[in-house]
Parts: sequence; C-alpha cells; structure tokens
Amino acid sequence: MAALGLWPIFLVGCEEQLPVAIGDQALPGEPVTVEITVPWSDFASNLEVFGGYGSPEDLGSGVLANQYEGTLDARTLVRFRRYPSVVVAVDATGASRPDSTLTYPSGRLVAYFDTIASTNAAPVTLALGATQVEWDATTTSWDYAIDTINDQRAWPEPGAGPVTAIGTAVWDPAAGDSAVFELDSLQVAAWADTTDLTAGARLDIIEPGSRLRIRGMALRIDARPSSAPDTLIQVTAPTREMTFIYTPNPTPPPDGVRIGGAPSWRTVMDVSIPSVIDGYAEFCAVVSCPHTLTPVEISFAALVLTSRMTDAAFQPSDSIRLDVRPVTDRSAMPKSPLGNSLIEERFGRPVPPAAFGSSPGVSIEIPFTTFSRDLLRGEDSKGNPATGTLALLSVLEPFSISFASFDGPGSASEPYLRLVLTIGPPVELP
Amino acid sequence: MMKRLLLTLAGLAVMGTPAAGQSLFNAAGLGLPIEALDGRARALGNLGIGLRGGSFLPTDPAALGYLTFSTGVMAAQPSWVDYASEDGVTGKVQGNRFPLLGIAYPFFQGMMSVQIGSFLDQHYQRTAEGEVPFGGESVATKDHFVQDGSISNLNLGFSRKLGDDYSVGLTVGRYAGSVVRTLTRTYGGDETTDVDDYIEQGEWGYKGHSFTLGAGMNVTEGVRVSASVQVPTNLHAEATDETRGADQTYKLPIQYRAGASALVGTGLTVTGSLKVADWSGAQESLSSVGQARDSNGFGIGTELSRARLWGKAMPLRFGYRQTGLPFSPNDTRATEKTFAAGFGLALSTSGDIVLAAADLAVERGRRSGDGLTENFWRVTISLLVSGL
Repeated sequence: MAALGLWPIFLVGCEEQLPVAIGDQALPGEPVTVEITVPWSDFASNLEVFGGYGSPEDLGSGVLANQYEGTLDARTLVRFRRYPSVVVAVDATGASRPDSTLTYPSGRLVAYFDTIASTNAAPVTLALGATQVEWDATTTSWDYAIDTINDQRAWPEPGAGPVTAIGTAVWDPAAGDSAVFELDSLQVAAWADTTDLTAGARLDIIEPGSRLRIRGMALRIDARPSSAPDTLIQVTAPTREMTFIYTPNPTPPPDGVRIGGAPSWRTVMDVSIPSVIDGYAEFCAVVSCPHTLTPVEISFAALVLTSRMTDAAFQPSDSIRLDVRPVTDRSAMPKSPLGNSLIEERFGRPVPPAAFGSSPGVSIEIPFTTFSRDLLRGEDSKGNPATGTLALLSVLEPFSISFASFDGPGSASEPYLRLVLTIGPPVELP
Repeated sequence: MMKRLLLTLAGLAVMGTPAAGQSLFNAAGLGLPIEALDGRARALGNLGIGLRGGSFLPTDPAALGYLTFSTGVMAAQPSWVDYASEDGVTGKVQGNRFPLLGIAYPFFQGMMSVQIGSFLDQHYQRTAEGEVPFGGESVATKDHFVQDGSISNLNLGFSRKLGDDYSVGLTVGRYAGSVVRTLTRTYGGDETTDVDDYIEQGEWGYKGHSFTLGAGMNVTEGVRVSASVQVPTNLHAEATDETRGADQTYKLPIQYRAGASALVGTGLTVTGSLKVADWSGAQESLSSVGQARDSNGFGIGTELSRARLWGKAMPLRFGYRQTGLPFSPNDTRATEKTFAAGFGLALSTSGDIVLAAADLAVERGRRSGDGLTENFWRVTISLLVSGL
C-alpha cells in the first residue's frame, strides 16, 4: 500500500499538452470584423459646456498678460508667509547663537518664470505694486476683490487696482528665468503682518503682446540681528497665496467642445451605443442587417474629436491632457460627481498645443470600449446601472489658463463614434 | 485501509481534471474513444474482455464475479505522441489520463463494483491566422479555438458466479462530463493595442446511460470465454443558460465484445478478443467534416506467467491490437495499431492470494488516417489492491 502514496508523484512529473488540430479540422464558424463610423446624431446628444471648476489659486502659479493677442490682460497677486523670526548670528565674541531681535532694512521679491510656457522672446518690463484693499485669493477676479457668498466687493479699479507702486524690473528670457524687484524697509515691514488682508503684491507686465507664466515667487529679506548689527543675513519668506486675475472672461462656446482653463471648463454629453446596427454599407455587406448588437461583439469603441483653433489669447502653450469620465447624475450638473477615468494613461491623453493653434483639425481618439459595453448591457461589471453621460475635462483642474477646443455637433468635423465590431455565429457542438 | 484508498482515489480524480488530450484525432467528430483498461489488458493487446481470473473491466461485467475479495483498482496512462500531416506539419503532444478507477466489494453472494472509466477524449485546440482591414490598413488576426472536454462513464456493476465455472454480470453506467468550446480572436499590431479580444464560448453538459450485460464461462480449467453487449441510450449534450449554441443529441452504438484466454502450456497463456461497434448512427447529428464509422477491432496476446523477480511472480505479457477509430478528420477510415509489452508484479501476497499488484504496459502504436499519422508511446500502469 505504500506504493499508493507515490502514485500522484509519478504522474505529476508528466507535462500536460493540448493537441493542436491541423488542416481543416474543426474550427467553428469564423467571425467577421467590421469597422463602422457612427455619426453624432446616432449615438450622442445634449452637448453642454460648463465652467467654473476650481480657482486660478489652485494652480499655485501666476500669469501676466497685456493685450495678448489683442485681448487678454492678466495680473498676478501674491502674499507671503510670516518672516523667519530667529536667525543664528555670530556675535562679537565669535560665538554662534540664536537671535530673535531682528530688523529688516531691505529685501527683494524674486519672480521665477516658466520659459517654455511664456510667449515672449524679448525682454519685458514688469511692474510691482502693493495692493490697497482687502482681497481673497480664492475668489478674486478682474472685477472683484472678494466674491464669496454674502460678501462681494469690487476692486476700486478693475484689475486689482489701485496699487502703491513699488518698482519695475526687466525679465530677459535669454538671460535667465527670474526677475528681481528691490524692496525698501517700509515695504518689507508692510508685508510682515500676515493678518492684514489688504497686504499683497500685484505684478503687471508693461509691454503689450506677451503672456507670461510665473512658476513661483519668493521674498528674500535682509535681516540684521541685534547681536551682530554689522551683519546682514538673508532669510526667505515663501508665498502663502498666489493667484492671477484676467480679462476678458471667455464665454461658453455655442457650437463646440471646450476643456481646460482656469477656472476649468468641462463638456458634458449624453451617449448611447446603438443596439441595432443597420444602414451602414460596410457592415451590412458582410453581416445580415438589421443586426442586434451584443456587448461581446464590441471589440473597440472610441469617441473621436477633431481639434479646432482656440481663442488666440487662450491657446495652449503646452500639451493639454484630456480626461474622460462618466457623469454619475446628469441632472445634478454642474455639481455631479464623476466616475473613474476612461483614459488608460495615468495623466490623461496628451494633445499637443499646435492642435489648437497652428495645426487644427487633428483627430483625437478616446477609447471607451468597456464603457460602451456596459452602456449596451445597461449595467457595469459590478451590477450598477450604467451611466450614459460623459464628461470631457482636463486631467487636472485647473491645469492652465489656456484651454482646448474641439468641433461640436453640426460642424463638418463633428464628434463621431468609431466602432470595431466582431460578429460571429454561436459556437456549436460538432 | 478503505479510507486511505478512497482518499487516494479522490486525489487522483482531482489531478485528472481536466486531462490534456492525447491525440489530434480528438478534434474529429465526438472525439477519440478511450477504453477503461488496466495495465494487464493493455499489455496483452486485449479489448477488455475474456482474460483469465477475476478482473475489473467495465466492458467485461462477468469477470467481476471471478474476484474473490474486495478489490480496488486504479490506472494511469501517460502518452507521448509525434504527429505528422501530409502537409508537412509535424509536432509532439503529451498528456496523462486516468482511464480506470474503481472498487469492488462482496455483495449479495456476488461482487458489486463502482467504477469511473474514460469514454471519449475531446481536448484539442486550433489556431488560424488572417487579416482584417482597420482604418485603411490590414491588421493581423489570430483565431484561437480551444475545446476542453471529455466524457466519462460512472458505472455501478454487479456480478455473480453461477456454479464454479459460470459468471454473469450487469453494469449500469451513466455518462458524465462536459465540454467547453471557446473561440478567441485577437488582434495583432501596435495600432490595435486598444482592440479587445473577441470571445465566443459555449458549454455543454453530457447526459446518458449505458447498460452492459456480460457472461463468462470456464470451458475447461485453462480456457475462459466471455462475451458482453453494451447498450447505450442517446448521449444528450445540454447547453448552459449562457450558451448561445444549441443542445445536441448523439446516437451511440451498441458495442459487442467477445474474448477468450487459454492456457496452452506450462505458464503460457494466449488470449484474443474482438469488438464490434458501429458509430455511423452518430453521423446524422454531426456537423463536422468526416464520416463516422465503426470502431471494430481485435487484439491478441500471450502471457508467460512463470517469470519471477526477487522471488515474486512477475508475468511477462506481449500483445497486438488493431481497432478502427470512429471519427476521422476526413472521409477516410482511421485506425489504431499497437504492439504492447508489459509485466505484472505481485507487491504483496498472503499464501496464494495477491493482496497488492502492479501491472505495467508499454505500447508502441500508430494512429493513421488520410493525411494524418500519429506515432505514439503509451504507458499504462495500474495498481490492484485486494482484501480491503
């Protein structure tokens, strides 16, 4: 009986293989694969553009513009954190010790620019001023300093004015990525009070025709410790709040798709996968029509958009990263939660900026095969009802002041549905 | 002891599911018939009937009656196949099978048995490549079809000796098993990485019964003759609810078997067996290429029972058999011919009673039909345990 115990071991050592039939042996009915293009009217409706998602402050960067493309003006507002209150100084005995009794005789505001996203090639003159009225970084705009519920206060002058002029500086992109404004002791002292809601700096561009992007700013302060009055120590106060305001505010496009911007735009549309395929010549040539479509027969489904030129002032200077998500409840728009992204790329589908400027008419394909199967089935893989509304948006909101535009329904390059269908007979017994 | 045996049987049953296929002829018709034979019958070229002594073969119900004690048997069967087609396609395939598992126990002055035996092997796969137009370009496709299935026969048998020389037996069997047929189309090329596979699948469960009646007689002290007839019902294949394909019913053949063994000299036994089964009735339900035919065949063999190893009996066996294959990939007849050799080894004895024995058979054979030839090695090893 001991031999019985070895029995399975003897057999496990033999590899299992599946015979491969050859010749014309027993392959069930071969499926056919057909690609069809479904026009907008046959699969989508109710396209609507919503704006106002997020705030420019969320970007953590600034924008400057003066009559860029003849229309856009933009200014950047900034506040700084509390100044460092203690420095380590070497006193008269040569010992290093902390010193919290500091005076600030001078300082510098340094602005760092995104040389790629900025449109100027030549030097530009920038102006720095101190704001004079209270403002709220999250809600401020070109016209309003504060725009919260029950508290709406306009700027005395549109565009965050007036300001107390501090000075000017020239930024030459060929020379570096930063511009420096010199500050006197009074201005340094004025921005030291972080509870003062009027405190803040406004940055303008003097020459017209450019759009600049500010990566960040910092306040470099000269601190004089009491223990070493002949010594100046440079300390840094980073930005606490930075935002930008601009005019004009773009209006929703009446006939197109828009995503991106700051605050961001989203485009929402209702979609449905045709359950019966009929009238498509390329399809009916190989499959009996009308054909009732089943989810497993959808091998590929994609929404195809065609880019078009964005308003010149808001044309992207970097790639737009497109995202597509199902809308949980269309009736709750613009506040409806969104589902998981249908884009496989982690940071969305990148679209080069030229597609919205110098080279419009680029077809952007957004695959959503699983979504379309769920839609046709009426439920997703977890048994939840499938939503028939999609939102097109930027993968990060906001991502940039610029936005992307696509042709809408009714145009020659309206969005369409690309379907690759594999139709086969049932697998039968031999 | 009984508990250990049952646990081992259960383990083997799990290991054997699903079994891999052992022949390209699995792709023809209902598949390749697999006989529930042990190592002794295989080594003697026997078709499952007419061997001397008690045996444990579903096709020879009367032989069960000659068993003296409760008995368990299990058989395993690895095989290695080299195939070649007239188109020049060659390859190898190998797999394991457990063609026979069972136990017998004395019951009502006879012997009752429960057996699980193989019946049809249906495992195979096939791949076809093609092209489809995508976006104005031609894209490669690959259609991969896999059939994963087999049919077994769960038998309940009873046999009883009538006097010293006669025995009759009846085996009632139930066909069981399933087949899953899956066709997958995949799209190749970088430009189609987003295109999902197309998968069409169907699953069917098999149902049916068989009744095998057999009789055996010791004509003289050294001569045994036996005969049996197996009458099956139709084999029903029922599709699952998710399957788009239709149900199907196949007509199975009545199988007649006869065999004899004779002790012709000291320690020298010769044996012969015949089988007649006409599968052409299944043709009307088959949509596949090929014509269902008979699986008639015969086998002859000899056993030298006086050989010994380390003081234990180790009978040497040789055999030859030739049978028709009921299904072929085309309209021509396919046959299987094998030469066999093997031996038995008494692992444990008590007096003249063998408590445990192993039987090994090694077959070298050829399956051939028009355009396809398989040369194979097939090993069958079985363990038989008595006195449970």
